[in-house]
Amino acid sequence: MNKLFDLRFVIGLFFVVVGVLLLGYTLLGGENSGTTINRWTSGVFLVFGMVMIVFARNKKE
Amino acid sequence: MNLGAIDYSIIVIYFLFVIGIGFLLKKRVKSGNDFLMSNRNIPLWITSLAFISANLGAQEVLGMAANGAKYGMYTAHFYWLGAAFAMVFLGIYMMPFYYGSKARSVPEYLKLRFDEKTRTFNALTFAAMTVFSSGISLYALAMLLQVILGWDFDVSVWLAAGIVMVYTYLGGLTSAVYNEVLQFFLIVLGIAPLIIIGMDQAGGWEGIVNNVDNAKLHLWKGMDNAANNPMGVDAFSLVFGLGFVLAFGYWCTDFLVVQRAMISKNLNDARRTPIIAAVPKILMPAIVILPGIIILALQNQFTGFDLPKNANGDTDYNMTLPLLLQKLYPSGILGVGITALIASFMSGMAGNVTAFNTIWTYDIYETHIRKGASQKHYLNVGRATTVIGILISVATAYVARGYNSIMDLLQLVFGFVNAPLFATFFLGMFWKRSTGHGAFWGLIAGTGAATLVHGLTVAEGKGGWIAKVHEYHSGMGQAFNIACFAFIACFIVTILVSMVTRPKAKNDLIGLVYSLTPKQKDPDKAWYKNPLWLGLIVLFITIILNIIFY
Repeated sequence: MNKLFDLRFVIGLFFVVVGVLLLGYTLLGGENSGTTINRWTSGVFLVFGMVMIVFARNKKE
Repeated sequence: MNLGAIDYSIIVIYFLFVIGIGFLLKKRVKSGNDFLMSNRNIPLWITSLAFISANLGAQEVLGMAANGAKYGMYTAHFYWLGAAFAMVFLGIYMMPFYYGSKARSVPEYLKLRFDEKTRTFNALTFAAMTVFSSGISLYALAMLLQVILGWDFDVSVWLAAGIVMVYTYLGGLTSAVYNEVLQFFLIVLGIAPLIIIGMDQAGGWEGIVNNVDNAKLHLWKGMDNAANNPMGVDAFSLVFGLGFVLAFGYWCTDFLVVQRAMISKNLNDARRTPIIAAVPKILMPAIVILPGIIILALQNQFTGFDLPKNANGDTDYNMTLPLLLQKLYPSGILGVGITALIASFMSGMAGNVTAFNTIWTYDIYETHIRKGASQKHYLNVGRATTVIGILISVATAYVARGYNSIMDLLQLVFGFVNAPLFATFFLGMFWKRSTGHGAFWGLIAGTGAATLVHGLTVAEGKGGWIAKVHEYHSGMGQAFNIACFAFIACFIVTILVSMVTRPKAKNDLIGLVYSLTPKQKDPDKAWYKNPLWLGLIVLFITIILNIIFY
């Protein structure tokens, strides 16, 4: 529960959720959805989100 | 602009997260100090990003892209001449007095340094300014959503106001600050792809150089005369008016941003907050100004990038960013871009509301209505003030819809009040002889001088309501000069009145005035913990940027 209060975890979770949504859209949303910019953005969001979550997990208590 | 299900999903997820942050923080808020001051317990990286994000509202994101299209690289002066130097000055010289004096707000510092009437004057004008600014932000958001997405004005106003109310009511300042940090990352990561696609389509920097008027790609060329540059300003009014008076007045005295540094854990963090925030600030032109320059290059190479006209038949530069989003973003990332825009509006609104409830509760309610009540009582007052502040914002948004000129007038009046404020703080902190009477009458004189100059000069059809004595090349030039006159009037009158009135005893000014306060020395601190070294690095980078884009 304490992790939920860590802002890095909240920000990380937000970008992971949006990244997964964008990735799912590019993979499953038909021909027009798989544009390069959507794929790259989803990748960047996933990496950024996961880095923030790792920072939150490794914080000094 | 048509949004798909994926775009709406991203907007809904964002709304859920910002409200969720409010609910998560609700249990932590037990007193007025928790709600209004975050109990001075926020880590440095959060205060730094919140410091810059509180300023990253609609005027910044939409307005600077618009200025980028209108004035080109000259717009970067707001960052590389104005903000950077002022933020470093705040961190090194002024923050020790704000934080060290234990004042809970900027007006409270004025009470400690001068007297009650100066504090009340500043608190009342600032409270009115913040709550009306919040309403103007709300109005602009609803109009934008109506124009580009076809959303209903009423739904947009109440939805945005309702979401901001929920998370600020539940978690107070901490919730607003946490959301500002989320909004910062969303705005940067949501708009950065637009720059990449835009630059690619425009043919890179070479394409921009070949397709944009060369006069709009420099910072200092043509500054010898106001007629020789797109901004219509001369070097003196730019350096003194923008770089000194307006920039220092905003960044060093506006409680909306200073509050983010004042909630740091300790004095060193409070001093480093604006300096660390200056690093992303000086890089921000790449996100907020470059879109305006990119659209100029695209207009020269492709059709469909012409900006629409407003009701007066003038080019509507405020549509620069929305038009680029519409033209360059496919569904998916479009939802991210629109969410980033909404986030910027909500960030600006929440910043204003949290500053308003602190000023109202501490500087007006506690001072003039009910002293010495319990922390629980002030918590309830703070929460009630949040609701009232947002309801006034909603009312302001509707007034603005019906009488747009009234909003222009209000912003103008607030500008007049703010312009001389830095002179008051500057003399208060660095001249021990300045008195409360001097400060009060200096502020009145500065505001009067600003009003008088506006009444006697004209620019772009505005001003000159007393007589047309002089015409400026641009509204920007007029604004910078009004600030110069307001500062000088406040400065001179404060000195003159102070000379004939009794100053406070020296013992009462320790910790409030530079020459009477023991200097802090941190020789053992590493460079990255030393505000002076960090400030010098920021200024070095800023100067390099000025040279590169000369």
